[in-house]
Amino acid sequence: MTCWRFRLRRKFVPYIEGDLQPKDVKQVEEHLLDCEWCRAVLVRLRAGHQMAEELRHFTSDAEHPEFEAVLADAGGTRVGRRARGAVWEAGLDGLATPRVVEVLTILVIVQLALLVFSNRSVLFGARYRIAVKPAALNLSEFRQLDIRELRSNTQPHVATDGYVREVHTDEEEGTVHFKLVEDAQGSGPFVICEIMSEQAEVPREGSHVRVYGVARYDAQTNRNWYEVNPVLNIALLKN
Amino acid sequence: MATRHLDSIAAERLGDDEQERTLVLAAQRGDAGALRELYHAYRDRVWSLVMYSVGDFHLAQDVLQTVFLKVFRGLKDFRFQSSLATWIYRIAHNECQEHHRRHRTPHVPLETILGSSSEIDTRPILDDQHAHRERQLIIQRALMQLSLKLRTVIVLKYVEGLTYQEMSRVLGCAPGTVASRLNRALAELEERLRPFRGIM
Repeated sequence: MTCWRFRLRRKFVPYIEGDLQPKDVKQVEEHLLDCEWCRAVLVRLRAGHQMAEELRHFTSDAEHPEFEAVLADAGGTRVGRRARGAVWEAGLDGLATPRVVEVLTILVIVQLALLVFSNRSVLFGARYRIAVKPAALNLSEFRQLDIRELRSNTQPHVATDGYVREVHTDEEEGTVHFKLVEDAQGSGPFVICEIMSEQAEVPREGSHVRVYGVARYDAQTNRNWYEVNPVLNIALLKN
Repeated sequence: MATRHLDSIAAERLGDDEQERTLVLAAQRGDAGALRELYHAYRDRVWSLVMYSVGDFHLAQDVLQTVFLKVFRGLKDFRFQSSLATWIYRIAHNECQEHHRRHRTPHVPLETILGSSSEIDTRPILDDQHAHRERQLIIQRALMQLSLKLRTVIVLKYVEGLTYQEMSRVLGCAPGTVASRLNRALAELEERLRPFRGIM
């Protein structure tokens, strides 16, 4: 069975290299004792690591006249195709009048203001995410809603029940997503849940759970769905 | 190869960090000798990254030329907020990505280059050095089959000896992301070399 401890697996290469702290070594080894999936991953990584260690620098003793041209270029002597850059730069110098600079500055300020305004939910969301301290969670403060009620919700902290479907991990991003559906058949409304830390354990496919987290709407093209992101806690209702 | 810290590599080449700083300051004042010295200190290291990224000697020369042109032009704005090596690697990485976007190379399966494992002569090679070179070549070629993203993370770690922190600065992502990407790259390298393990 797939193991979701991808954050722990990030320690595997340092573990192979003997670069881990003793407490991390203990954590890795204790997990390896119980997890066949990760033992298989470790074997592959060790083999890949041994092969990669044999890679060497490409060396070139050939003459590099082109590189000398770069040095000459940087020193102010424009040569060959780089001379075209000088013509452009001369043209740009001509545009650097106080009036043009003033207009460009105003344009940049307006663009920045628009950027902040159009992304305010993302920016405030990011700040909110940092403010959450799972250790201090009081689950009774989360507003209990059905999945279909999320569209009319205005509270940031919600709790909603459903069945787990389509669990997917993104190891590079360090996140796990799953679809929470209202009925066991998988039809009807759903919400996308994203776990960002290992404090919330990844639920099994098909299990009936209550998910606690921050409600938000993903307005990206082809998405336009409601999310619980990040998930702060998951309570198992039925396995 | 054990992981070596960038600064220690730079120190090997340039004496110490202070000497490098002096060199950079001189280069920023337009001292051609200082530029030349920096160029010679970093050329070979950047060359490896570029060659592994581009895979063609002449194209790599062109990319390397552009990298150092950008380094020399950007040096006047370098404020020592990162190590010089990290900054140069970042420019090189960006340029390799840009080159890759412009010249997407078709995927060539490793077996096409080397023949399948069943076609390879598995008799032991007497000359150990020759066998070692062959083995390196096979690994290099397998590496070249990985995507640029995965190839780069292996080159930065195993060829250039960067730490996770340094790689994250060069690649512009979190150290955790680097670690996950490295896992994926090593697993893929292992998979591509699995047919050859019996003869390596």
